[in-house]
Amino acid sequence: MLPRLGSVFKDESKLDISYVPRRLPHREKELRILFEFFSFLLRDPLRMTQKVLIVGDVGTGKTALAQKFGEDITRLGGVNIKYVHVNCRQYRGSLFLLLSNVLSAFHPSFPKRGLSAEELLNILLQVMDEQNVYTILTLDEFESLIDKEGSEAVYKLTRLQESRIGKPHRISLICILKNLEFLNTLDASTRSSLQSNIVYLERYTQDQLVDILNDRVQIAFNPNTVPDDTVNLIAELAHSEGGNARFAIELLWRAGKYADAEGMRVVTPDCVRKAASSTFAMIRKSDLVQLNFHEKLFLLSIARFFKENEEAYASLSEIEQAYAITCEEYGVQPYTHTQLWNYLQNLSALGIVKKKVSIAEGGRGRTTLVYLPSISASELEKELVELLEKN
Amino acid sequence: MGSRMRLKILRILTRIGELNVSEIARRVGGDHKTVKEHLKILEENGILQHKTYGRICLYRFNPNSPKAMAIQKFIEEWESLEKPHA
Ligand SMILES: Nc1ncnc2c1ncn2[C@@H]1O[C@H](COP(=O)(O)OP(=O)(O)OP(=O)(O)O)[C@@H](O)[C@H]1O
Ligand SMILES: [Mg+2]
Repeated sequence: MLPRLGSVFKDESKLDISYVPRRLPHREKELRILFEFFSFLLRDPLRMTQKVLIVGDVGTGKTALAQKFGEDITRLGGVNIKYVHVNCRQYRGSLFLLLSNVLSAFHPSFPKRGLSAEELLNILLQVMDEQNVYTILTLDEFESLIDKEGSEAVYKLTRLQESRIGKPHRISLICILKNLEFLNTLDASTRSSLQSNIVYLERYTQDQLVDILNDRVQIAFNPNTVPDDTVNLIAELAHSEGGNARFAIELLWRAGKYADAEGMRVVTPDCVRKAASSTFAMIRKSDLVQLNFHEKLFLLSIARFFKENEEAYASLSEIEQAYAITCEEYGVQPYTHTQLWNYLQNLSALGIVKKKVSIAEGGRGRTTLVYLPSISASELEKELVELLEKN
Repeated sequence: MGSRMRLKILRILTRIGELNVSEIARRVGGDHKTVKEHLKILEENGILQHKTYGRICLYRFNPNSPKAMAIQKFIEEWESLEKPHA
């Protein structure tokens, strides 16, 4: 599809969930570890297989890492390695459906009706023997398989070779899951055979998310349409959502869609707030109603600051200046700095605004920065103006 | 009648590659027993071969028989004549 005239996007598909990025910043080490675990495959594949777990929270790049590894290792050539990635949840955790799908990857017309999972597994091994292929089978969302089939299925998968003594090893496993606790239902020896090789993926830090986002900005957006402030804000929000890269990329996409819808040529931090407000719960109106008159004025000043400035963060003194102007408009005396500080604590406890402390360069002096997490500044302004009119 | 059925079987195997007996029977519209007999004759003539996977038995052209390969090639050519080129 050609980019629409005037769109901020160059290629939206690079932000799709299914897109496997060419490189995975901050997962280089993990990729290397995977290669080490499977290095025997490239040298002497006949005599062993490997079992590896990839463990990490939502959006930490588990699926992307495994897929990237699969692409890379099959591209190396030499040994006939096939990488097959299946999502267990997609097959409702059914070993039969999952194996049918794997078999189709090797033999598209193979009849599966009426067979048991066990029979499928043996057929699969026979087909692999015939094609002399070594398979790395990734079981993504492994929890789902354990849930549905119990340890029985996992046991079968990990002990394939016991009924094939003297034959080449064919299937290595990569199991992806969010939490090791899920393995507790497995019997001890199956568990220990799985747990000997684990790749942990930590939640992404804010800086790491910035790098990941910048890569996507490069390939998905037109030049100079996504300023650093916007990227930083998205990273900040995604960081507080558990270092979730999926959340970050989706929010980047939504913010771009919002900019397009508004005919804007730049994806501003406010586009991010707008976009985020459609993903998380909106601020509850009842929270706004409860605020006292000056709290409302203070919040209104924050909203206006972000509406008028294309910045992701505001310092408290910038907000105070805006607040002074708002007070003038409403014909009231501004409150003191200390009082405003208390308001800020309250608003941040309610989750309406967020704050972070930034340490000035050289380490001297700390500034409190304020930002809006999930709400669009202009929507917030509108709500508050209405409420203040009723006062 | 019998040779018509056999030709159908060969055409399907040319198209699909490898199939089990029930699936062949379903596709040629014959009953299991008759189809099985035809398959047996074709195999005895060296045109087809079968491989078993547990309870499953798959038939395909015999790659080691020049005759089989010639027939397969002929059917391929024939089918491509029938279809207008895309
Ligand atoms: N290091 C990275 N570099 C670039 N993109 C990344 C990176 N890590 C994750 N992503 C992207 O973030 C999104 C989420 O990643 P992924 O689907 O791999 O997470 P996950 O850990 O499998 O999450 P879940 O537990 O929900 O399945 C994907 O679009 C992926 O391409
Ligand atoms: Mg995943």
